[in-house]
Amino acid sequence: MALDQGTGLALIGAGIAIGVAGLGAGIAQGQIGAAAVGATAEDPKMFVRSMIFTVLPETIVILGFVVAFFLYGLA
Amino acid sequence: MLKPEEMTRAVVVGSIGNLDATIECLYELGILHLIDFTKPDEEFRLGQPLPKASGDSQKLLKLRSMMRALGIEEHRPKDRLEVSAINKKLEQALVTLDLNTTKKTEDKQKIQALIREKETEIRALEPFRIFGLVVEDFDGYDNISSFVGICRRDPSDQLTAKFTNIELFKDVRKSDIAIAVFAKNDSKSEIFRILSEHDFQEVKLPKLTGDPGTIISTNRAQVDKLQANLKRIEADIAKIRKQFADFIISSEEHLSIEVMKAETPLKIATTENTFIFDGWVPKSRFREIQQALDSRCGVLVFVEAISSEKEDEPPTKLKNSKIVRPFELFISMGSTPKYEEIDPTLMLFITFPLFFGFMIGDLGFGMGLFLIGLVIRLKMKGSPDLNRLGTIVLAGGLLASIFGLFVFAEAFGIPFHPPEPTSDEASWESVANIPIHPMIEKMHDVNELLALSMLAGWVHLTVGLAFGFFNARHHSLKHAIGKMGWVLMLFGLFEETMVIAGDATMTSQFINSTVFYVFPTDFSLGLAGIELSIPALVFIVAGVVTLLVTEGAFALTEITGIFTNLISYARLAAIAVGKGGMALAFNTMLFPMIFNAWDSPGAIAISILGAVLLAVAQLFFVFFLGALSAGIQAIRLNYVEFFLKFFEGGGTEFSPLSYERKYSVTTK
Repeated sequence: MALDQGTGLALIGAGIAIGVAGLGAGIAQGQIGAAAVGATAEDPKMFVRSMIFTVLPETIVILGFVVAFFLYGLA
Repeated sequence: MLKPEEMTRAVVVGSIGNLDATIECLYELGILHLIDFTKPDEEFRLGQPLPKASGDSQKLLKLRSMMRALGIEEHRPKDRLEVSAINKKLEQALVTLDLNTTKKTEDKQKIQALIREKETEIRALEPFRIFGLVVEDFDGYDNISSFVGICRRDPSDQLTAKFTNIELFKDVRKSDIAIAVFAKNDSKSEIFRILSEHDFQEVKLPKLTGDPGTIISTNRAQVDKLQANLKRIEADIAKIRKQFADFIISSEEHLSIEVMKAETPLKIATTENTFIFDGWVPKSRFREIQQALDSRCGVLVFVEAISSEKEDEPPTKLKNSKIVRPFELFISMGSTPKYEEIDPTLMLFITFPLFFGFMIGDLGFGMGLFLIGLVIRLKMKGSPDLNRLGTIVLAGGLLASIFGLFVFAEAFGIPFHPPEPTSDEASWESVANIPIHPMIEKMHDVNELLALSMLAGWVHLTVGLAFGFFNARHHSLKHAIGKMGWVLMLFGLFEETMVIAGDATMTSQFINSTVFYVFPTDFSLGLAGIELSIPALVFIVAGVVTLLVTEGAFALTEITGIFTNLISYARLAAIAVGKGGMALAFNTMLFPMIFNAWDSPGAIAISILGAVLLAVAQLFFVFFLGALSAGIQAIRLNYVEFFLKFFEGGGTEFSPLSYERKYSVTTK
């Protein structure tokens, strides 16, 4: 399938948007997750609060997804 | 259903002579949540424990130490023991047990300590027995230093090269070297340095005299004798354990209950002649207290409902129907809702299986989960939490089967009919012609799934914000109206996503022609390639203005939050497609191996290998990991996106004066 240059660039951009956002969220979530597991191990009642803290960085991926989605639409 | 059980503040007052009977009666009823009396003054004092408390707790202490000594803390009797039998036998049993067990367990500990000591001596002397020295020769000189121990590597060459007047014994063993070095005090530090370089570890020899070999063999003989003794004592203890284990556990339970009752006065207010229980009772059962105390227990006490003050926080007793109740598990994993708050269990009952089923969306895997849930429910009757989990898995599996059958029309990742764009894909058509066609093709209608996810998100979040409105209206109407600002903004954002989707999906077509029917669809402007709907903008601006007025400018930092909350529901589509994709990938890779290898030699073996690989891959990657991630995402959407819109928690759980007998029983 032949793509013109603009479409190709838009698709690469979409990939970068979601990929790098995912990487960033992963790095952040890893550290929070480790602490959250520790807190939950000490007090199981912390489970929900830990979960809320752990998923905070996911906002980054969601925004990355939106950007990727629009770029995909442009392509 | 959405509100916890309504509570009434109740006060039970009586004369002190009736305290014992009243406590008994209240515990049996099990509906009074006691408020601890904490501020004694001149008139009201804390109550005194009932007279039987001290005797009972001493017996309890003894029983518990017996339990530890006999190692029966985890023992679970099969039959319940009659309380009257416990009371009759307890005194005598405690004396018998005390006489036998205490002495025996003490002896056991002594013998174990002795065995340990002898074995330590053997271990210390063993490496040096072949040096031909008696134990006292190894140490205790004035002018000579001795080094006795184990090296990793051999230091003897280096030592003999450097010092001439040292005496060195060594024994090269499998992985290390036993060594004894004797030298004049002035070369002590240098020798120690060389030894350290060879990973020297000093061995402390026991303070004994004589030949190590003889000591070792005497010790061994002693250890054998001690072991035999230990075995005899352990057999005796096992006999006692067998005879008394059931009795001890049942009595321990009974006495714990008795002590708990006897110590209840420590939590209530008393005067010289009266006592006062102050607490909360479910409103619907308030009359029962008076009736029970009057008729059943025949005690002359007065029960009165008093109006509670504003700062009093009643305990929370969730009130849900039997079918919804298992989902209270999700609430108990976090925090108890406050009394005034909305109880979200009903919403969890609706949304969790729905989200879970949508993400799994497969008849085969759904039925599998349904069966697993059923097995957990049947097998785990003893554990209430696992039982509830079983019901939740069962409900999720059921919804997944329904989605799999009617919406996605597929089982085990294989569609009933090959999807139109890829008509050569494997399908159940080669087995049977199932007369159900998919409403949505999981691997091809991704946009449809996304639009459905957005719809789910909008409904879910709007309900959350509406709950938030009801929760907030008690303490601040302004906050409550602020929630409505979010509702407006969310409505605008949702409309915008539907306008962008336009006619591309059935969901957006439907929404645009029903919910947004009143808005002119072509009323939009383009911005950076994105079609912006003007009615959507109007809603968003109205929401922002409402927020500015009610919550202040700071709340505006949260605007991206509500947007990401909505988009966050895209995970529903993502997991559904991801899971379907994984199943399809394994099927595509391994079907040729199973079905197309017939003409090659060893065809059956290859086919079987392919089938096993497929089963393992599907079971582990698609079934278990899929169920796990779908479960986590379904509950996360509730905990994070939904709960944060309204849930505060931090309430007190309703825990009335009551007890539960598992191993003892009272008959009247």
